[in-house]
Amino acid sequence: MTGRIGFTLGLFALALSAGCASSGHERNINDPTNSLVFGYIDMDDAPTSIAYASIQQVAPPTQEPYWSLAVRKGLFYTAYLPPGSYQLSKFGGSAFFTGEHVYGFPRQGNQTALRIEKPGIYFLGSYKYRDVKSGMFEQGKFSIDAINKPTEADLLRRILDEGSGIKDSAWRDRIQARLAKLKR
Amino acid sequence: MTLRHPGVRLSGLLLAAALAACASPARERVDGWSAVGAGETVVVGRIELVPPLAKGEQKMQVINSGSFENIVFLMADENNRTLKGEPTSADFGGRIEATLEQTFFVRSSDRPFYILGGMVWLEIGSGSNKAYFPGGLRVALKPGDKAVYIGTVRYQRDEFWNFKKVSIVDDYDRANSEYRKKFGTRIPLRKALVTPVK
Repeated sequence: MTGRIGFTLGLFALALSAGCASSGHERNINDPTNSLVFGYIDMDDAPTSIAYASIQQVAPPTQEPYWSLAVRKGLFYTAYLPPGSYQLSKFGGSAFFTGEHVYGFPRQGNQTALRIEKPGIYFLGSYKYRDVKSGMFEQGKFSIDAINKPTEADLLRRILDEGSGIKDSAWRDRIQARLAKLKR
Repeated sequence: MTLRHPGVRLSGLLLAAALAACASPARERVDGWSAVGAGETVVVGRIELVPPLAKGEQKMQVINSGSFENIVFLMADENNRTLKGEPTSADFGGRIEATLEQTFFVRSSDRPFYILGGMVWLEIGSGSNKAYFPGGLRVALKPGDKAVYIGTVRYQRDEFWNFKKVSIVDDYDRANSEYRKKFGTRIPLRKALVTPVK
């Protein structure tokens, strides 16, 4: 199932990832209505790691519902989401032997559904990728299983340390306050 | 959740094509008595979604996929059964293709049947995504019925496509007015609202 490389479709995926970039979402990182939304996916059992990811805004309706997420070794996050309803939409990545892969999440029954009513810090959870058997002519399938580690605090520390522009933004204090709360 | 890679990227399209071409035919939409045979019934009803599909909520990016826009595919069978897992193309045989928020008129045998569930396409193209509606409704046709109004089935959902409530609404007057325009007044439209299966 994972042994073919399609140049044309690779280009398609590239276009898709470009389409998922956060153009039109040019919000200031210090905008007080922003929320930080983050999570983690262990892709050890997947055909590829993830190089890009997007979250879909499902409410309120918008012409540009896809928000790109920063991705670093399984950690994915964005610090720019305004209040609304969201769920993970797609992950993608490529590997030398398995080629380009796009991991699509369902619109219905998506376990990462999140409703943000108040700006804040929202942890979507840590998950492990699991292959699901599918028929020969069926689309490949997968599921994600919730895992206990890394914890919310582990990931917030990583965002603070590794996140581009986070340390120099208003998020620094908010993340530290959240970490202090989690310690209690 | 679906995984697409070069080998199977088109399978979402194939699924849609199978529904369009390979599944047994739908209950045919009719506009007058000329298309209705002996022993057949015109089934009149309506499906509403609350809130309705928002602009851009369906992403149809493939040629001809526009014909799936604003359509709910109601899986129907004379035997009541619970759909287990992803419906197959066989489950769509005898379906009703209902345009949301519009009265449908389809021809059917004059035997009772069950609505097992429904499905709308949310994305066909760069990915494939669907939402399923709950079923468990009985359509109480009787032998000899010529035209039956089964009601408006109103599905209330949230933004994540979780269905919160299903109600059966009697909108007979409006449906009957539309029926008379298409089919005339010779044969009355009998009211037999769908009922939840116990």
